[in-house]
Amino acid sequence: MATAGKASYKYLRTIEYLYELFSLLFAAFGNLPFLKIRPVRTVFFRQIYFGGIETFGKVIIIGLLIGIVIITQITSLVGLGSAVLTGKILIWVVVRELGPLLAAIIIIARSATAIASELGAMNIENEIENIELMGIDPNRYLIMPRVFALALSAVVLTFYFELAAIFGGIAVTSIFWAVPFEQYSKGMLSSLSIAELSVSLLKSLLFGTAIAAVSCSQGLKVRKSITQIPQATTRATIQSLFLVFIFDGIITFIFFV
Amino acid sequence: MINLECASLKGLLECASFSAHEGNSRVVLAETDFDKNLLLRVLTGLTRTDSGKVFIFGKEISSITYAELSEARKKMGVVLNSGGLISNLKVWENLMLPLAYHASLSYNDIEVKMINILNNLGYNDDLNILPGPLPAYKKKLLGLARAFLTEPDLIIYDSIFDGLSSDIRNRALKVVNTFHEEKKGRVSLFLATSEVSVKDIKADSVYVLKKGNFHERN
Repeated sequence: MATAGKASYKYLRTIEYLYELFSLLFAAFGNLPFLKIRPVRTVFFRQIYFGGIETFGKVIIIGLLIGIVIITQITSLVGLGSAVLTGKILIWVVVRELGPLLAAIIIIARSATAIASELGAMNIENEIENIELMGIDPNRYLIMPRVFALALSAVVLTFYFELAAIFGGIAVTSIFWAVPFEQYSKGMLSSLSIAELSVSLLKSLLFGTAIAAVSCSQGLKVRKSITQIPQATTRATIQSLFLVFIFDGIITFIFFV
Repeated sequence: MINLECASLKGLLECASFSAHEGNSRVVLAETDFDKNLLLRVLTGLTRTDSGKVFIFGKEISSITYAELSEARKKMGVVLNSGGLISNLKVWENLMLPLAYHASLSYNDIEVKMINILNNLGYNDDLNILPGPLPAYKKKLLGLARAFLTEPDLIIYDSIFDGLSSDIRNRALKVVNTFHEEKKGRVSLFLATSEVSVKDIKADSVYVLKKGNFHERN
């Protein structure tokens, strides 16, 4: 009986938390017109800079390495003679799955933790209340620009991650195994469509939005003590990962099954 | 402009009434920092009373929406004892934030006003740094400058003269007194816990918050 009670309590808490996340996102969408206000725009661009531009180099390096790893594995599986098939598999693996997923993981490691700890520290220092005292709605000034900047950064980073991974794969085979680029391009072009790329970017958009919502929500939950900040960042990381994998499964099931 | 009608809050107010009308400059002395901070929260709408009514600019706090409360706060300046600065914004961004958010002034126009206020306060430190390492008195001066920039109708000072050297205190006091007189109808409310910290303030009445009520001192 006690176990059943605990389980239903957890279930209700999960529903309540999801409701919180949706409310946060709903409010963020409602506050989008306030992006025209200069200080809000500054927060938005600053988040783009920290979450997107500063992460760009790392995403490119990891993308290149992942491309090299994948192409090496595919080539060792199907051999050097199946360049068309190799190109196809590379596109499918990178664009359909690994691109959005790994870009999201990099964003979680870099931005989700940063957002949760920053908002948590601001809450502890009463800075969010100080912002309210100036007649500024923290949802407009702190949350909305972070949500949209992270969502946008996720899309752009995913795109460049995929480009880097494909380039890395091609470069390795062309340089080390002397397989002409044209052979791969046939397979790639036949499997890479606008729809394929759109689904990939849709995934990244959802991932970025979910990561931002979770990390903002966890940061805002910090109330009493500085020891809650590392707890909030841990929860932001785990829950973001969890949501990213859930969304990945759902979208893959809807579009590719 | 701001008044409490039979406001009660456990541990602080017991059917307490207080009002500050246009042009008033009032000092409220609380017994402890805790009481003073809680009173500040009540007056700014951050904490709701258990019963009674709190009016800000004629609007009862518990019956207005968050947007209306924010609108009322736009006309209010709160100078916190800690300065109330935002740690991830540089000093100049902190100062400009409320005005740049609410008004459509250009950054240049705001900067001209800002420099003028800082000069009056005798603040001449670098504005392009984060406020974290600044000493407490500089944070207070910056908090003052930020509130002055918005030219509020109602300004609440939270023990801002505590811990200032006599030179800085005198200069700040002069600016604060002038600021009150600059705009007709402006209300200044000084919250403090000791009389020493509000010495020489031009106030038309002094209240003591004791045993849940405001007592006017002759």
